[in-house]
Amino acid sequence: MSLEFLNAFKFMKKDSFLHNLDPRAKLFLAIVYTITALLFNQIIPLFLIFLSLIPLVIIGKIFRQWVKSIRGLSFLVIFMIVLNTLFISLSFAIAMILRIFIMVSAFSIFFLTVDPNSLALSLISMKLPYEFAFSFSLAFRFVPTIAKEAQNIIDAQQSRGYEMQAKGIINQIKNLFPLLIPLIICSIKRAFNVAEALESRAFGSKKERSYYYTIKYTIKDWIFTFYLVLFLTAFIIIKIQFNIMPEFFLWGLPV
Amino acid sequence: MSAELPLIMIKDVNYSYPNGTIALKDINLNLYRGELIGIMGKNGAGKTTLIRTLNGLIRPTQGEIYVNNKNINTATIATLSKKVGIIFQNASHQLFANTVEDEIKFSLKSFNLSKEESQMRTNQILHQFNLEKYRERSPLNLSGGESKKLAIASIFCRDPDILIFDEPTLGQDAREIEFFIRLIEKERENDKTIIIITHNIEFAFEFIPRTILMADGKIIADGPTQKVLNCEELIEKSSLILPQSRQFSLALQALGFQNTDTLFSKAEVTKYLMQFIKNSSGSAQKR
Amino acid sequence: MDLIRFEKFFYRYKGNEEYALNDINLRIEKDDNFVLLCGETGSGKTTLIRCMNGLIPQFYSGFYKGKVFINEVNTVETSIANLSTEVGIVFQNPENQLIAMNVEHEIAFGLENLGVPPKKIAQKIEESASLTEIEHLLDKAPFELSGGEQQRVAIASILVLEPKILILDEPTALLDPQMARKIITLLKEIQLERKITILISEHRLDLLLPFADHMILMKNGKVLEQNSLEKAINGENFQKLNLNKPVIYSIFMKLREENLFEGRIPSSIPDAINSLKRYK
Repeated sequence: MSLEFLNAFKFMKKDSFLHNLDPRAKLFLAIVYTITALLFNQIIPLFLIFLSLIPLVIIGKIFRQWVKSIRGLSFLVIFMIVLNTLFISLSFAIAMILRIFIMVSAFSIFFLTVDPNSLALSLISMKLPYEFAFSFSLAFRFVPTIAKEAQNIIDAQQSRGYEMQAKGIINQIKNLFPLLIPLIICSIKRAFNVAEALESRAFGSKKERSYYYTIKYTIKDWIFTFYLVLFLTAFIIIKIQFNIMPEFFLWGLPV
Repeated sequence: MSAELPLIMIKDVNYSYPNGTIALKDINLNLYRGELIGIMGKNGAGKTTLIRTLNGLIRPTQGEIYVNNKNINTATIATLSKKVGIIFQNASHQLFANTVEDEIKFSLKSFNLSKEESQMRTNQILHQFNLEKYRERSPLNLSGGESKKLAIASIFCRDPDILIFDEPTLGQDAREIEFFIRLIEKERENDKTIIIITHNIEFAFEFIPRTILMADGKIIADGPTQKVLNCEELIEKSSLILPQSRQFSLALQALGFQNTDTLFSKAEVTKYLMQFIKNSSGSAQKR
Repeated sequence: MDLIRFEKFFYRYKGNEEYALNDINLRIEKDDNFVLLCGETGSGKTTLIRCMNGLIPQFYSGFYKGKVFINEVNTVETSIANLSTEVGIVFQNPENQLIAMNVEHEIAFGLENLGVPPKKIAQKIEESASLTEIEHLLDKAPFELSGGEQQRVAIASILVLEPKILILDEPTALLDPQMARKIITLLKEIQLERKITILISEHRLDLLLPFADHMILMKNGKVLEQNSLEKAINGENFQKLNLNKPVIYSIFMKLREENLFEGRIPSSIPDAINSLKRYK
């Protein structure tokens, strides 16, 4: 699994229906999809849930990135197919894979379309303390910076003869030190730099904070939330009344 | 330069990042053994990308690179880094060992030397860089200047033929820059080829014989430093400014001083002014 | 009135035996205008700067003696947040100072912390952005900006707090020469327009000398000299320090050594031309 996979979770500023929704609506989306995915073990209902993601991804203009996140899971997919088929059944394996795809996609949609600042604001509106919400969005803001730093560290070490591949588990762990230690040290230094810059801009002032940007739930957000509630309710009903569902719902591979 | 084959030949090299951005475009370059070359240009012009192609960190998407007449596209970074040593800007990106001594020994690991040889080389390099007193100290506890020296030492101990520095004079005062100059002068005596990426125009103008200017991934100039850094158009394109000695001689020319258009370096301007003032006071006395 | 005053101030970082600052008795006044702080690496410049808004000793716990006053307020008797409305500090690496998702929010951040109402914030953003010439960048993300643009955003986000003095710690370190010159020129404009004091710690003297009017020289944690620029660069301290002296300085020092030049050493090319005018 390459670092490329992480790109599928990186926020990218775009003008789309999804991007313009309130972050809380999108969080609700991730939760709803996770719940519905966990409701079923059968291929067909999971597949339907998975399909319902595709129109969302398209109107969110994040199709390419979403495909990347699915592709990045391919290694895990093969691993799961082998393991699950051996111990249970191929049907079960496919169902599990679909489940993973759904949950990863749901969160991927969230991270791709919510900018960290809005995320912080939505956490605050849910009564989380400001410092907590802020450190959350700060972490996000610095992920690409740290990733770049990691690459620079790899380059610097390779330039003095460090080899990425090592033989044996113990050696592989030892081999991480030349990468991890500089990364940790640099991150700590960075944290200090960021902290002193924040202090120097009155962060932590005793005065009550004002908010220049605010998030507000609009009609669109309510409609979308309503749709999600319907979606969730529909699948809960299907689950409860599963025995009266048409035959093909229980379809599975003969393996 | 004699009619020998170039030590490094870069032929029609192009490189684009996975996301499509073009970082290097049609790079053609010949570097000869023993040369001291500067690479200058705007941030993002492709300077660090270019040097990374020389030790395999980056593989060109098009074109070939030959070092010592061998195409390096199949050589591993591990092999190439023995011949091409890059010292990056930020020393804290590589320092991690328990002691300064261990840091050097780590760089020597890939040579599979005997314990005695490794110790000997380590002692020698610590002495050369005046780092003996820090032998047992943690490399994370060194000052900025000392860690930069250690970073350089950890590449020097591998004795590569080609040395590449990325912004070696950044944040350094005159004394540290002097140490660096003496260091590269000594390496040139040992016939090493040295490439320096720098923003420091005065430094380049004074000490680097050949300069390459880059802009937007392309090489826009390649020649004697005094010529390259004297062309207003190229200076503008590379986001540089004229060396102060040249700015001064142009200002003198504007004021009406004769024979100033061939004055470039600090030494030349000084000599000119000394001569001029001596003559002026001489003629004043005659009156 | 003193903007900044150090009284017999000593400081050493936690875990260090050596003092980073030794008996500092510095005074920076309201009309000191454009001050250049220089010294060899390790002389204590960054440490000195950190004392000026309370980061030392409040954020960097260590051992200290003596007092530091900002506008007659002792830096240990008030919060760093309060001091940040008097003293603004822009640090070396803009990457570690830009924390918001777009430039507009970046500038708003300091004012949000102080509880300024949003309408007022909008007005102040406009003023700051226009002063630093970044109005066209307001909706851009920090990583979309060039190094010079990032540095200007950092400056705008501090200026918006309306400090009486703007301090910058090696602001041009990561910039190419043209961008560096643009930033310094901008700072000079800000100094004149806003009538605030600018203090810059720098190694690139050739860039800074033409703009500065005062100089502080440091060595080994001590302030060697605090003087007008002219007097400082003609003095012995400046000559002896291992600073990156401009080419003009070296040329005229050589002429002086050869007894061919008697006037004061020029700090810029126009200055140098002036001193040679009498020969034409």
